[in-house]
Formats: sequence, structure tokens, C-alpha cells
Amino acid sequence: MNRTPRIAATAALAASALTLAACSSGGDAGADSGAFPEEDITLIVQAAAGGGSDLSSRALATELEEILGVSIVVENRPGASGSTAMQYVADQEPDGYTIGFVPVEIAMLGHQNFDVDPANYDFLGQIMLAPGVISVPTDSPHETLDDLVTAAQSEPLSVANSGAGSIWEAAALGLADSSGAQLTSVPFDGGAEAVTAVIGGQVDAAVGGTGETSAAYADGQLRPLAVFHDERHPALEDVPTAAEAGYDLEFGGWGGIYAPLDLPNEVRATLESAIEEAATSESFVSTIENTGAIAVYKNADEFTEFVNAEYERFGGLLGDS
Amino acid sequence: MSAFAEGLNALLDPTVAVCLLVGLLIGTLVGMFPGVTGSMAVALAAGFTLTLEPVQGLAVLLTIYVGANYGDRIPAILVNTPGTPAAIATTLDGYPLAKQGKGGLALVSSAMVTTGGILLSVVVFIFAARPVASIALEFGPAEMFALVVFGLTVMISISSRSLLKGLLAGIAGLAIATIGRDPITGDERFVFGLNDLNSGLPFIAVIIGLFGIAELFDQLLTHHPGTAQIVSSLGRWWPTRAEYKQMARPFALSSVLGTVVGAVPAAGGDIAGLIGWDRAKRMSKHPEKFGKGSLEGLTAADTASSATLGGSLTTTMALGVPGDSVMAVMLGSMLIWGLQPGPSMFVQSPELVASIAGIMIIATVLSLGISLVRSQGMVKILDLPRHYIWVGILLFCIVGTYTTSNNMYTVWVMLLSGVVGVIMKRTGFPPGPVVLGLLLGPLAESNLRRALLIDGPASLVTQPIAASLLLLAAFSLAMPLIRRARAARRDGAPPQPIEVDRT
Repeated sequence: MNRTPRIAATAALAASALTLAACSSGGDAGADSGAFPEEDITLIVQAAAGGGSDLSSRALATELEEILGVSIVVENRPGASGSTAMQYVADQEPDGYTIGFVPVEIAMLGHQNFDVDPANYDFLGQIMLAPGVISVPTDSPHETLDDLVTAAQSEPLSVANSGAGSIWEAAALGLADSSGAQLTSVPFDGGAEAVTAVIGGQVDAAVGGTGETSAAYADGQLRPLAVFHDERHPALEDVPTAAEAGYDLEFGGWGGIYAPLDLPNEVRATLESAIEEAATSESFVSTIENTGAIAVYKNADEFTEFVNAEYERFGGLLGDS
Repeated sequence: MSAFAEGLNALLDPTVAVCLLVGLLIGTLVGMFPGVTGSMAVALAAGFTLTLEPVQGLAVLLTIYVGANYGDRIPAILVNTPGTPAAIATTLDGYPLAKQGKGGLALVSSAMVTTGGILLSVVVFIFAARPVASIALEFGPAEMFALVVFGLTVMISISSRSLLKGLLAGIAGLAIATIGRDPITGDERFVFGLNDLNSGLPFIAVIIGLFGIAELFDQLLTHHPGTAQIVSSLGRWWPTRAEYKQMARPFALSSVLGTVVGAVPAAGGDIAGLIGWDRAKRMSKHPEKFGKGSLEGLTAADTASSATLGGSLTTTMALGVPGDSVMAVMLGSMLIWGLQPGPSMFVQSPELVASIAGIMIIATVLSLGISLVRSQGMVKILDLPRHYIWVGILLFCIVGTYTTSNNMYTVWVMLLSGVVGVIMKRTGFPPGPVVLGLLLGPLAESNLRRALLIDGPASLVTQPIAASLLLLAAFSLAMPLIRRARAARRDGAPPQPIEVDRT
């Protein structure tokens, strides 16, 4: 991981110049006061480079570097549905120099036989949300979410999602649970593959993120029926929310920043305010929105409460199997 | 045609030239570095290219993609370690060629057919993107399953020395592929409470271990100076006229095959290389030379795996659906730039399509140039004392594998696979089928189960593409057996048992 970024850094002159500027300005500030942060901060990402979590983390890191004046080293530790990285973060010294990107899975994995518990972390703020969207092929007989549910009440329909135990499988499960529809979950290897299956007409419906869905929608390759969020999505203006379509359900792939439990108070406060500033900055918001997600910011308290509520909700939905 | 000119014109910008060179440098380096794959390099570079203009950014990313596809052949040929999974099939004939002192010939031929494969597939991208892409979209779970089963029949060919040992190795590969979470229900399988095993064995670590590290351990354990075989001279560089002729047929076959496999979402150069090699062996006049340093085999493997580039580019740009893991990353970057790959891109921004094709062609030609010049420099490295070379390779493999996850666990898996690899080597079990099982097993299982969930068993027979691929697979399995029986009858001898060991 060390070698390639270094080569890439030399390559992308613009980017590295920016980083250097940020580093040098921060060096002065830190050295005099002895206050946090004095050295580089490592941001652990639970997914491989290139995905949505990685992109959001890197975009935030760029902003944080300018605000905190130290380098933020993004480190990918993929594996075991993200639990490898979560366990790693929990085991680090709570000094603020190791933080991480925390995905929605933190509220789910504990219910799926993984050793992951939200109680082991300090949550510092939510930074993004990619709401779920349920779509059907363009030649599908189902024009609305109600059509789909009604049809599925009499015969089972197949719904593609991004993987076994994923948030989009939970969304389909939630819809089936609340409506009595028979939805057969067909887990694929990632959201893009699930959306491809609906474009190719291999499944009756698919749940995916707004990112992969809105791109295909813009090209008229599929028909989104509802967005699992409390308001409509800018790239899917004509698509009703699930509540508008008659099913009051919200499912989203959210992400935030967390740290090992029990950060010192000053460190915690510095990080919280830096994350707020970074997550609401114009360039971060536009990067996130270009990926099709929404830049949603929640402060540490709201986010902690939200994570716990989600943990409880998924406990009911997924059961402790 | 003006859009075409406009798109190519955008490439004349000097900053684009700089971007191309940077991409080329990164691509070649990461390709040579075992463990560091093209998709990892593109993903990391994507973080930096977001600040560039789209054409400049694409110039960096696409050139890394192309460059890595040349670099990965070098360790495959010289030290039996595929630089990226796309070069697995390269090792089958590339390394034997190098051991025979024909490393130079292998490197040059590989670079040339790789160039041809990419260029032909880019031509398909330019002229037939939309029809090819719509065929690719037909590949649902049932079709993917059938394609993968067809791929699994390659096992018969790679186990040519002993069919029984080959098949046993293949089954072992399929068996270890089941470690991890169940792809459909998410239940744990053979995890034994070890959290890292939840995502299964890391594929890249296993291939580096079984091929490269096993070779290295084997050499270290061989004390007789006479028996230790290391590539010490590269021999001549250019193929003769007769060799060019030999290469023509597998080249033609594999470039078509590679483009098609590349266009299928989620099937990439690793699978294409193996299928290409297998098909060429079955159609060759000298199948017995395959796996022992056949130039035809090398040609087929490298052409097929490189032709997937144009194929997956086609699917990605014409459908907005990623054709392979590198393209998935690229797609993400393009969305951030505000570009929307998909059917409308060909109508709304043909100049961008022209730019992309232009970048691919320039990158390919430059990569060929660099490969030919650089290959000559390889000789100097091989002049170093052997122990330095092996230590260097071991370090490279450890660092490269570690970067895939930043976790020592992957390095342990690699070293352990190396030990297993040595034992297999000494007992005559080929590593190829294990890798094939590990690569295709999860794809076969998950797609079969998806197909069954969606339509039940009927879809495997009623879908024309799936059914014909399955028939083809059955045919591929039966043919060698029938041929063997016939040959035996002609000779008037009783049919030979299958597990004939010709080692």
C-alpha cells in the first residue's frame, strides 16, 4: 500500500502539491502548542480501494488534511464483510491517531455471527448516505411499488441485491416483512451486478444504491419504483419515496467516522469539529453527490443515537442467527 | 466523423502526453510486482486523478490498465509467478520456454501477441460496441454458470501429465473455494472461528504461493548444483518465420474468444487466458507440447487475456455495467467527472468514445515499445547471483501480497500455499487445477444457486446460451475420452486406464 500511492503521488502533481501545502502549514501549528494532532492520522477503510466507502473516505481525508494540518493516511483493510477493519479499529489505542470509516454494516454484522459491537467505538459523525432504490426492468408489468407487492403476495418474485447479509438484502427483507410479499432474495456480488441483473431482465426486481441505479435510470435501462428515504433523490426526481408509495420504510448505506472507545475529551472535540467542517465543505459535498449518494451530516451525539437505533432495528429484522 | 477528429484532437494536448507516460510507468511497474494488480493501482490512482480533466484522468487510468497487462507477463515467464491473475495462463508455457533458454523469445512473442490482442479488441469496441454489449447483457446467472462450467473443463488439459492427479488437485481447489461465508445465505463454512476466513482464502496470495513461492522453495531445497534450474540466459529475441506462422492460428482464435469473455460482466483476463490456452491446445497439431514450452500455448494465453481489455471496455462504456474489476473502479471515477457511461454516451458524446479508443491504442503501442526495449535489460538482472534473485523475489512477493489487505494474514496464506506447492510439485500434482478450482468454484456455485433461485433448474436447459455452453462443456469432457478409446482400438490394444501417469 505504501509503494503505489507514492508513485501515484509523484504522478498527480496537482494533488501532491495540495497535500504538501497542507502538511507544511500544519507542522507549525502542531509543534508550538503540543496540541492534538501532532502527527499523521490513519483512517482505516473496511473496503478495498475504489469502492464507495473508499471514495468517501478519501474525499473526506483531503478536507481533513487541510483543517487539521496533518496528513491523513487512508489505509484499506478489506475482508470478512468489513469486520476485519472494525475489529482492528476497536483494538487500537484511543489517541485519535487511528480513526476509521464506519459503514452501515456495523449495525448488522453483530446479528450475523460476527464479533462486532457498536458499543466498542466512539462515533464522531455521519458524513454520507446512499439511500436504497427498488427497480424493475423496463418491460416489467409492475408500474408502481404497490403493483410489485400485490403481485408478490400471490406468487414469489425474485429480488436481486448486493450480497448475502448486505444492507440491500435487508431492505428487501424489510419490505417483505411489512407487506407480506413473497420476495425471493437473490444475492449478487455487489450492487452493480444486482442492477445489471435487472437491466438484463434476469430478475423481477433489484434493490441497489442511488449511485448505480440513477446512472442506469438516466439511460432508460430500468424503472425505479421507490426510494427508501424520507425525501426524493435529486437524480431520481420522478421516483416517489417508499412512504409516498405506501410503504413507510427507510434503508440506506450510510457512512461516518468512528474511533476506538474512550478518546480523550480534547481529542474527541477537535476531531468532531474537524469532521463537521470537512463533511459540510462544498468540495466534499459535490464529490459525494457526483457519486449519486447524499452528503448527510449528523454530529457525534445524533450519529451515536442513530447507530444504536439501527443496531436495534436490524436485530429485529435479521434475528440473532 | 468530425466528432472522431475532435476526440483524437483532445489527445494532442501536451498534458495528456504527460498523463500517458505517468500511467505507462505506473502500469508497467505494478504489473511486474506480484500481488499488486491493475485494479488496485487504478483504484489508488483514481484518488489522484479526480482533480484532473476527464480526458487527462482517463489517459492515466486506461494506460495503467494497459501497462499492467504487459508488466505482469515478465515475472510469469521468468520466475513462474503471475504478476496479476491475468497472467496465470502465461506461466503454463512461458516459464517452460524460459527454462529452455528461450526466455527472450517468450518475452518478445508475449509482448507482440498482447499488443495484437488489445488492438483487435479495441477495434471491436470502436465499431461494434453496442451489438457486442447487448449480447453481454444476456449473460445472467444461468449463462454465467454455463460459461464457468465450460471454463472448468480446462482442468482436463492442464492435467495432461496425469489426469487423476490433475482432477484431484482441481477438486481440492473447488473444496477450499467453499471456505468462507455462503454466497447466498451468508452462513459460515469452514471458518473455525477465525474471522479472516470469513471472506475465504485470498486468491492472489494463493496463486503467488502455489506458483512463485513454491518454485522458490523448490530451488532452495535443491542442493545439487547440477539439478537446480534457473533461467540464466534468455537466448534469441525474435521469432523465426516458421514460428510466426505457428502463432497465427492461436492468435486469431484467442483474440475473438478473449473479446467475448471480456465483454461478459465479471469475467476477466484470468479466465479468458486459461480458456484460450485450452482451446488452442485442443485445436493444435502439437497438443503434446502444451505446458512444456509451446509458443502456440503462450500465444493463445496472452492473446486471450489481453483481448479482454477491449471486451470489458465495450461492456463498460456501452452499458454502464463494469466489464471487470478495473472497469468498476473506472466507472466510479467517470461518474464523479460527470460522465455517464451507457448507451447514450455513444450518441451524446462520440468524441469521448474516440478519445478513449485513441488512448487505448496509443497506450498499447507505447507499451509494446517499452516492453521490447526493457526486455533486453532483464538479462542484466538475471546475471546476478541466484541467491540474490530469489531473495529479491521473496521480498517482492511478501510486500506485494501484504499490500492487498495490509494484513499479515495474507502473507501467511501465501507462504503456506508455497509449502503446499512444493509438496505438490515433488509428488507430481499440478498447481494449475487448484487455482482454476479456486477461481471458478465460487463463480460456479453462486451463479448456479442464483439461477436456481430465480427460475429453478429449467433455466439451465431452456436458455439457449446456457444450454449450448453446457453442451459444449460436456463435449469438451467427452472428446478426449472418446479419442483415447478410439486410438486404443486402432492400435488393437485394450483401452488405457484414465490415470495413466506419463511423468
